[in-house]
Amino acid sequence: MFSQRELERYKRQMMLFGEEGQERLKKAHIFIAGAGGLGSPVSIYLAVAGIGTITIVDMDVVDQTNLNRQILHFNRDIGRKKTASAEEKLRELNPDIIINAIDVKIDDTNAAKLIGRAEGIVDAMDNYPTRYLLNDVAIAKKIPLFHGGIRGFYGQATTIIPGTTPCLKCIFPKPPPKEVFPVMGVTPGIIGTIQANEVIKYLLGSGDLLMGRLFIWDGLQAHGEEICVERNPACEACSDMATMKTTPRNVK
Amino acid sequence: MQRHGNNENNTEECEVTVKIRFFARFRELLGTDIVTDVAPGTIFTSLIASVAKKNPEGYAAIFDETGAFHEFVILMRNGKRIDIADADKTVIADGDEIAVFPPVAGG
Repeated sequence: MFSQRELERYKRQMMLFGEEGQERLKKAHIFIAGAGGLGSPVSIYLAVAGIGTITIVDMDVVDQTNLNRQILHFNRDIGRKKTASAEEKLRELNPDIIINAIDVKIDDTNAAKLIGRAEGIVDAMDNYPTRYLLNDVAIAKKIPLFHGGIRGFYGQATTIIPGTTPCLKCIFPKPPPKEVFPVMGVTPGIIGTIQANEVIKYLLGSGDLLMGRLFIWDGLQAHGEEICVERNPACEACSDMATMKTTPRNVK
Repeated sequence: MQRHGNNENNTEECEVTVKIRFFARFRELLGTDIVTDVAPGTIFTSLIASVAKKNPEGYAAIFDETGAFHEFVILMRNGKRIDIADADKTVIADGDEIAVFPPVAGG
């Protein structure tokens, strides 16, 4: 049941998917790995859409150099934990949802536990080793991984449904070298909102997800395109998973 | 659209025309939608190397010092993945569209 405030808050989107759809969002629990460039727009849009429970994890402190893109964090937050800053902003954006902000480094000892019973993982990380961990947990729990990555004016996104689509290791078997990547805030803004849109579509069972499709954005050309990607039968992460004949609930 | 000429000794009718699309960092360094004519029998790796050599930084982004693809590079031909291990054995065909891209890592 929704309060009067919630009914007002979500009025314009319930024109799209009704109270039933809104109820689906309210019951959902989504895990966001990272409160940085991608994590900012992802968490903001999922919070205002009314995703009932959001767990957001980050280990960093807000730094001046983050502020050109990490729009959850303000000048006054420099030196604060990103999780504290994120929790405060998200609660202000929507007091009717639950925010779990956890200040920890995601590693192979805690990833599965942190993700817990979340029904989807948003990849808002800045490195492949952690992304591969999230990919492993998504496969083990059979929950989707909403991947995004950015560099400069370029970005990519895809939605991974274990057993149905290629996993992250099928698409990117080897990580690129580590670097301090150049970035301009609009790029994670674009890719993060695509990820958030995928999460909402997945929960509602609406539209077509970026399944088996790697969306590639070129901000300099203002051009987006997609590349079809396939499962790797020899994938070290997901090849043991039988191809699902029936797609999971809410996936068309 | 750029046109990249090589193999000038071949006659027009013997050559095969291919299009190479670079993405992200590779695009910054090498451009994209490069249409080039190559001799029949040209191998995938040598085609990409010949185009990439126009910018040493672009070449170094894609190939290691031994001339092999960096292991993270993604190669596709006509929408199908080409394994790096197979790129040395893969012969280019007329009309091929080739995509070369890196995983984008930032967040």
